Amino acid sequence: MVGTPVLLIAIPLLAAFVIPLVGMIWKELVRIIPGLVLAYMMVLSVTLLHYVSVHGTIVETIAGWSPPWGINLVFSPLTGLLASIMTILGFLVWMYSYRFKRNVDFEPAKKYFIFLMMLVASAVGMVITGDIFNMFVFIEIMGISAYTLTAFYTGRNSAEAAFKYLMMGGLASSLLLIAIAIIYSQLGTLNMADIASKISTMNPGYKITALVFFITAIGIEAEMFPLNGWAPDAYSEAPGPVGAAFAGITVKAGIYVIIRIVFTLFDVPGAYDFLLVIGLITLIVAETTALRQERLKRMLAYSSIGQMGLVVVAFGIGTVEGAYAALFLMLNHAIIKPLLFFSGSYLVFNSKEKRICEVNGLGKYMPFTSVLFALGAFAIVGLPPFAGFWSKLSVLTAAANEGLLLIISLILIVSVIEIVYYFRVVNRIFFLKYDKSTSVVPHRPRFNAVITMVTLAILILVIGFYPDAVTGLLHNASQDLMNTPEYIQNVLHGGQSLIR
Amino acid sequence: MDDNLLKILEIGVLSTSVLMILIGLYAVLTKRSLIKIVIGLSIIDGGIHLLLITLGYLKRGTAPIFSPGYEHAADKMVDPVPQALVLTAIVIGFAVTAVALSLIIRLYRHHHTLEIDEIKTLKW
Amino acid sequence: MKKFLVLLILAVLGYYMYDALYGIGIGIPRFTDGVKDFYLDKTVSQLHVANTVTSIVVNFRGFDTLGEVTVLFLAVTALGSILYKKRHDVGTRSILFSSSSIVRSGSKLLFPAIVLLGAYVFIHGHLTPGGGFQGGTIIATGFLLMLLAYENFKVSHTVLSFVESFAGILFVVIGLFGFMNGGTFLQNFLPEGALNNLFSGGVIGIIYVMVGFKVATELTGLIYTILHEKD
Repeated sequence: MVGTPVLLIAIPLLAAFVIPLVGMIWKELVRIIPGLVLAYMMVLSVTLLHYVSVHGTIVETIAGWSPPWGINLVFSPLTGLLASIMTILGFLVWMYSYRFKRNVDFEPAKKYFIFLMMLVASAVGMVITGDIFNMFVFIEIMGISAYTLTAFYTGRNSAEAAFKYLMMGGLASSLLLIAIAIIYSQLGTLNMADIASKISTMNPGYKITALVFFITAIGIEAEMFPLNGWAPDAYSEAPGPVGAAFAGITVKAGIYVIIRIVFTLFDVPGAYDFLLVIGLITLIVAETTALRQERLKRMLAYSSIGQMGLVVVAFGIGTVEGAYAALFLMLNHAIIKPLLFFSGSYLVFNSKEKRICEVNGLGKYMPFTSVLFALGAFAIVGLPPFAGFWSKLSVLTAAANEGLLLIISLILIVSVIEIVYYFRVVNRIFFLKYDKSTSVVPHRPRFNAVITMVTLAILILVIGFYPDAVTGLLHNASQDLMNTPEYIQNVLHGGQSLIR
Repeated sequence: MDDNLLKILEIGVLSTSVLMILIGLYAVLTKRSLIKIVIGLSIIDGGIHLLLITLGYLKRGTAPIFSPGYEHAADKMVDPVPQALVLTAIVIGFAVTAVALSLIIRLYRHHHTLEIDEIKTLKW
Repeated sequence: MKKFLVLLILAVLGYYMYDALYGIGIGIPRFTDGVKDFYLDKTVSQLHVANTVTSIVVNFRGFDTLGEVTVLFLAVTALGSILYKKRHDVGTRSILFSSSSIVRSGSKLLFPAIVLLGAYVFIHGHLTPGGGFQGGTIIATGFLLMLLAYENFKVSHTVLSFVESFAGILFVVIGLFGFMNGGTFLQNFLPEGALNNLFSGGVIGIIYVMVGFKVATELTGLIYTILHEKD
């Protein structure tokens, strides 16, 4: 063993405190240490995931108090899978942005990596913690890192986008705190497994009230309609790699919290249907808005919101198959959307306005980046040989098995919209003529960015041609999610004790 | 204190906390000045903290501290958990407020105004 | 018009919230199997800490506190990043009125007393009301007083960030030491001592002192950064 789950949080925190000190000695360490930490987190979470899929869930207690009294971390096939996705992506984002503003004296650039590391660590913390208030603390850590990363550039719009994000995030945390207060006042506990085992004794009125507060609060983080007004601004004003990290890491954590709360904590009938409806509305509104966008990053942001809507729809189906499809979508989105953000931000690198019409004919001058962008576009709309196809197929199968024909037809219609706006960009890149007056000046990607993008592309192709590589993990995770009694059993009554 | 007075106090504290949350929400929803919005958020936070503490209150209870002479008073002590949660929540609220204020400073630098209507360059 | 609409919505929301919360029943024990009785029991019998809130904040829910000091730390770091300017004209403050000599000498007299009080509060965090956060805040108010009274009062950023980082590192390292003897993260590994003694509670007192240092330096840093923001 290379460590226990708590090190996924403790080591980044330790590094965050160490970095300002060692940064005084050698500036480059400010960039290197977060990378090492993220690499360690990646290795640790993947090792633990492998261990967990063989031996069963790890429940780690903190400060020596077993749940429900102390805070505990749950590293199950589900949380382990999400933590692994996040840490892998976190490392890739680090690699992509390693040389970011390296040779200029730009204070935010020195702190960028601390915030990036804390963003990943807090998202992992949100996923693996077994305590509802601890989750609130991690949401706040993530929030502060995300606001600061959004305000990275000193231009005027970035501060405004960050402020908007902060307002929504602040409201979300207030609502979350009210929900926690209601739950504590009724059940006298904050441990999620304990709440889940006692929730049936709770007065139904309070249960619904708490659930409404919870979903509203987390809906903001998970970009659910109509609470996602902050997202397109934050995505488009933040630096490219940060947009990728938002799409791949923070939103995933938000979605996880929603499903954990709806599936495990509350057994309110009708909550699944609610998820279906809200997911569908988000999907349709976001994809139709994406169609109208003129700026590349805003289009990607709306597409990301739409994908999250689709994930929530898949969870809302309420079966193990649905959860499988949703997790598959989350995995694919976490590797495809970053590729689009990375290659997309190189396509419009030298442009001020970052408009879609400025990419005309770049395929000739930036063939490598353009091909990668096209690959990402094909994959995300779900064309057959790529990764996105299998996840979309599994959503449709899951819906078909439940007889939800309306949903299937809506998803197909929305997919057509998606194809239209992605292919419009690809068409501009490859088939329109390069025009010196309107198109951007081509820009060669740096070496580390090339490695990152190629890694992501390889992952997309591997999952596309050989989906069996991940289906086993996804099956375990979806069964783990739907099996609440086992979760309670694991946390409260021993389960797999920890090896050292 | 007699029971009626305690009852009035309980209702008073509870309604104060709800009122604070509502006042804060009102400020966030209607005020057009950035500073006032942040003040509104802080008021919401304050209301929630008061609410949490109130939920932990026990009639005629004592502070959850086992000082000499109170070693066996555990059943008379108020609930310590909300107090610990509020301690955490206050610090977090403070940190978020600090970041919000610094963003406002940044916005003021560029726009020389704090009115939302004059700042809107992105869609709200 | 919009205001009336908002008021109406808030009135409805407020009615329901009040109604629901009043129904909870304030001031009476509501649950029998909650976690608080365990805390109240173990804080004396196992941790030997008199202040139950402290034992919850630092030990039972110590992981929250670690996250919390990280939030503060990130806020300080974020301020440095967000308020960054290309021109190096930071360091001077715009002052409308310089303070009178009464304020100056009064602050000078009060400053050591405030710092002492803050230190007392966080050192005795496990015995009396208060602790690292409260004590740290008190110390920061002392620095605020000095900054308001003396317009050229300087606090070294290097010292601040050194103390801040060092306290944070010690917190995590003490937590990692908990792994000794087959324990878990943040577990106590020192002798507990006798209840109501200064040296009781094992690592709890030490961690709370670290939190005190950290909060004091971070709040001072925040105030300092915002005060020296000139437009």
